[in-house]
Amino acid sequence: MNDAALKSETQDIVVDEVFPHSPETIWKTLTTANLMGRWLMIPTGFEPAEGKHFTYKTTPAGAWDGTIHCQVLEVKPHERFSYAWKGGHEGNVGYGSRLDTVVTFILSKVENGTRLRLIHSGFALPKNDIAFKNMSEGWKKVIGNLGAIAGEQQA
Amino acid sequence: MYTNLLVVSNAATIDTIMRALADPTRRAVFERIVSSDEISVVELTRGSGVTQGAISQHLKSLKRAGLVTERPEGRNVYYHAQPEGLAPLVDWMSHYGVFWRERFANLRTLLKEIDP
Repeated sequence: MNDAALKSETQDIVVDEVFPHSPETIWKTLTTANLMGRWLMIPTGFEPAEGKHFTYKTTPAGAWDGTIHCQVLEVKPHERFSYAWKGGHEGNVGYGSRLDTVVTFILSKVENGTRLRLIHSGFALPKNDIAFKNMSEGWKKVIGNLGAIAGEQQA
Repeated sequence: MYTNLLVVSNAATIDTIMRALADPTRRAVFERIVSSDEISVVELTRGSGVTQGAISQHLKSLKRAGLVTERPEGRNVYYHAQPEGLAPLVDWMSHYGVFWRERFANLRTLLKEIDP
């Protein structure tokens, strides 16, 4: 038994794609309220300034009213943009449970456009590698379904 | 599929699951159950280095967390893993995995419109 095994781990979601547009154009879609509303969600009180608080409103669950509380953490024009993303409620499990995460967009110029990386970090999971790897059929099916959904959307 | 497991795990909050898996001995017990089809308390105790009473206690909290189920047969009780019990922990994350891929597709469409 060691102490490291007792600690929780966090996991990140990463989406990494190349868009045939300039970093400046993409930056605008990430940091302009009305454009954000057209591809992501409509932000309330948004300004691309460090420290600024804003919210998104999504589907409520249980005691959670569906408000996502955000705070701009980093603004490096045409390169890097990140904000805190918090929501959910202790009383919920699964969708709508407590969430304390950070969303980061990283832009880099590539030959045919811009590589945009999204990192949504801070999803708390117990450190349990073997259990996750050795999951029985039911679990594999859940993961398989998710993979299929993601695959369809990428195609 | 999700309907069932959400009902099952409503009682077992994320905290219960986290606590159940935070203990290394208990996690080792869970991992042995996961890697075998079905296993009895006696088999779990063998080679574990702890008493059968301790194993039973660990099984109790794994059961409470919705991670294992038991099947009594004669004088034995057999345990098998219910990995769906872990779903509440990754469900929120799965939601966002799908969410962001969808939004990236929206972004691609929007960019085509504003910057043809």
